[in-house]
Amino acid sequence: MIELRPQTIEEARAQLSQLGREKKTCAFLGSGTKLMLGALPRTDAQLRTAGLARIVEYEPADQVVSFEAGIALAALQNALAKERQRLSLDPPFAAKATLGGIIAAASSGPRRMRYGAVRDLILGVSIVRSGGELARSGGKVVKNVAGFDLPKLVCGSLGTLGLIAAATIRVHPLPEAEASLIVRSLSSEQVPQLLDKIRAAQIEPAAMVASRTGPDRWDVAVLFEGFEAGVKQQEAKLRAVAPADRCDPWADHAALRERGELRLKISALPTALPQVESELFSRLPGARAAWYPTLGLGFVSMDAAPIAAELEFARRSFRVVVEAAPAGSTLDRWGPPPQSLRLQKAVKARLDPEGLLAPGSFVGGI
Amino acid sequence: MPPRTESQDRRAPPPHDLDEQKPGGTQAHFESPSKRLPAEVIARFCAAVGEENVIREPEDLRVYEADGLATYRVTPGVVLLPATSEEVSQVVKIARAAGLPIVARGAGTGLSGGAMPVAGCALIGLSRMKKFLEVDLRNAFVRVQPGVTNLDVSKHIAADGWYYAPDPSSQSVCTIGGNVAENSGGAHCLKYGFTVNHVLGVRMVLSDGEIVTIGGPTLDEPGYDLLGVVVGSEGLLGVVTEVVLRILRKPEATRTFFATFPSNEEAGNAVSAIIASGIVPAAIEMMDTLAIVAAKAATGVDWPEVGSALLMDVDGPLAECEHTSQRAIELARQCGAMEIRVPRDTAERELMWKGRKSAFAAVGRISRNYLVQDGVIPRKEIARVLKEISDLGTKYGLRVANVFHAGDGNLHPLVLFDARVPGEEKKAEEMSGDILRICIRYGGSITGEHGVGSDKSAYLGEMFSEPDLEAMAQVRCAFDPDNVLNPGKVFPTPRLCGDKPGIYKPHAAELSGQAERV
Ligand SMILES: Cc1cc2nc3c(=O)[nH]c(=O)nc-3n(C[C@H](O)[C@H](O)[C@H](O)COP(=O)(O)OP(=O)(O)OC[C@H]3O[C@@H](n4cnc5c(N)ncnc54)[C@H](O)[C@@H]3O)c2cc1C
Repeated sequence: MIELRPQTIEEARAQLSQLGREKKTCAFLGSGTKLMLGALPRTDAQLRTAGLARIVEYEPADQVVSFEAGIALAALQNALAKERQRLSLDPPFAAKATLGGIIAAASSGPRRMRYGAVRDLILGVSIVRSGGELARSGGKVVKNVAGFDLPKLVCGSLGTLGLIAAATIRVHPLPEAEASLIVRSLSSEQVPQLLDKIRAAQIEPAAMVASRTGPDRWDVAVLFEGFEAGVKQQEAKLRAVAPADRCDPWADHAALRERGELRLKISALPTALPQVESELFSRLPGARAAWYPTLGLGFVSMDAAPIAAELEFARRSFRVVVEAAPAGSTLDRWGPPPQSLRLQKAVKARLDPEGLLAPGSFVGGI
Repeated sequence: MPPRTESQDRRAPPPHDLDEQKPGGTQAHFESPSKRLPAEVIARFCAAVGEENVIREPEDLRVYEADGLATYRVTPGVVLLPATSEEVSQVVKIARAAGLPIVARGAGTGLSGGAMPVAGCALIGLSRMKKFLEVDLRNAFVRVQPGVTNLDVSKHIAADGWYYAPDPSSQSVCTIGGNVAENSGGAHCLKYGFTVNHVLGVRMVLSDGEIVTIGGPTLDEPGYDLLGVVVGSEGLLGVVTEVVLRILRKPEATRTFFATFPSNEEAGNAVSAIIASGIVPAAIEMMDTLAIVAAKAATGVDWPEVGSALLMDVDGPLAECEHTSQRAIELARQCGAMEIRVPRDTAERELMWKGRKSAFAAVGRISRNYLVQDGVIPRKEIARVLKEISDLGTKYGLRVANVFHAGDGNLHPLVLFDARVPGEEKKAEEMSGDILRICIRYGGSITGEHGVGSDKSAYLGEMFSEPDLEAMAQVRCAFDPDNVLNPGKVFPTPRLCGDKPGIYKPHAAELSGQAERV
């Protein structure tokens, strides 16, 4: 195995060019927190992005930052915090994960409810293609429709289209105030009903996470962010809608997203929680589960167990992706491929014609 | 490919009103009329969509010769008005078999020639596809056909207290399909994002007639984010036949104010100061003197003819809104605002916004002709760039009106000219191109929302390198390997999909001792 640790983008280009000429396969690694997701394929080479970790340009007044992709989210947040700004992404492994890895895995957390996912915040990207060619797309301004939007295409591509070498992303001011409240012990029917009430009352949380406390029991955490006056008013309005206490559930939630030998991600309609409860959560004894009520995303964390049958059953009604599984697991990671698989394959074949980048690790065998 | 003159043409639609955007510019450049289609091809189209939905008489075809960029006209071979995804698929297959290029068209309000026909093409008009297929408020989405207009989406759900956020000024006529193709923005996209942030899924017909679904009401479909690249692809990747849109609950409160400044410099500084303070305005729009004069003439707003003005909305929970609007007003004053006007009621607020949203058309009141430009710069450079643009105007001897989305640095300089004066149109075109070069020089973009289309393809090559464009072109090839959908648009030079990308050859020095073998 060839291990590559480029210190500059030019160096990475030279390395990928050489691999291209020798027709050698390659996979990319940030800090390695999401290895399970794409089941890192056996390749001739591995390129680690740790040496590509510079902030290239940061213009607080424009609220955009450009960086090399090996930079850790935590390091970037530190730099932004000095200007009272932040990247409004709160994916799992926030302490270790690199931006390149977060983009490549399209990973997101509860604040996606207000601020969107990586795809919604990314503005520009430079990728090194197999063969070493550098291709830029997007830009460093917040609004731009010139050319095709490849920054979005590489979000979630798990290193199969090119090395994400550098990117530009939109940042936000740090909120002046925040408050977290919890509404306890709702059924899976009541969770979407709580959301109905929140909307009816025109309350605008920044994030909501329902945590499963027992069979068909959920505690719903609600995060408010903004200016002091607004946060106070919203807190009061929420309390008028449902009994709520102050709480701090976020570390617990992060643990659920990061730990457990077996981790699943569910995607369904927000109102489908009762069905997800009965067709999946209730069938996985000992599992911990969380649900993002506005996004319709669920997360399961558990010890290793034979769950192939449960998975197959659940996949008849909604989407389940295996985000982490013990080594040697034979679980089908992605479930049924999307209807656009032919197009997906064509995109891969066009951008990596020799099939040298992380072959076989992606959806539908891409 | 339409015949291209040396300079690019960005003539705006005839001014005054959106309804009057039918082709009608002066000195149009015509593509020579194409041959009539063989009768059996016409017969197949008629069988697919019904005789009354196949437009083929020369005088009827003329209606479709141009989009909002009315100067260039090309006659389509035939116009088809299908009603369903299946009909679109059939029409595409028939066109392919007959060897016709295919161009999709929504309302034809695009300002970059995106929906301008390719000579002799099969133009697919989506205007009959206006159905709401699904409305699901609890799950916050609607599923619509592409011919539904932008404003109709919001109207359809307004009674329940919901709306669709992206709001192009053309929203009462432009279609969701056109919005998807252009990734359209609007004044309120600063806080809420552009079309791409609100499209959850599409159904589309590919260049071989296959109907494919990408994304949908549930998030995170496994695989590449094809939706991200389909939105904004200007009709080159497929014909969109259904769209799933994210909708939003209306905010509790909106606060609007209008602030006047001695010059663009103070107004630009106010924009920066407000945004730096942590406020995310729902919208923050800037107008210079000429734009104010035009808006007054067209809509009867009683704005003072000052150097520059801002129109700003904040929205959200009431207490937050009260706080941020107060704070923004203070900041505007600190930056030199002369007068702050707060609308007394909804009617007054709506009039203010009408003044802003009709500003393009309004410029027709003060100039016989004008070009609408669309470029983006980093927000903090607004004052400096506006000064450069005004210097350009002096150099060329032309007036420029500015009315634009200041919050995201999306400029819309309107270059005023009189086509009756020999050479003035050409000067205006040159100046308009120079403005794009300024945007590129400041690290910005040649288009923030109007798209590249047939109008700006040459400038795309100034903004991006050959390898950048090559990667984008490969994506087009993945969707449309035979280059039949909207051919000749967006990319500066025609490309075939056969060529494989070459391997980058590094300098020998770059290679020395860098691959560390373990
Ligand atoms: C007065 C005025 C104000 C404007 N203000 C704004 C503004 O504030 N913000 C903004 O972003 N734009 C604005 N525009 C530009 C224009 O309205 C938008 O680009 C709009 O989205 C175009 O929609 P349309 O239905 O008219 O599309 P068309 O002009 O018909 O087509 C535009 C492009 O979309 C493609 N297309 C259309 N339908 C489909 C489909 N179903 N599938 C695939 N491709 C399709 C066409 O091929 C073409 O390339 C303005 C235009 C005018 C005239």
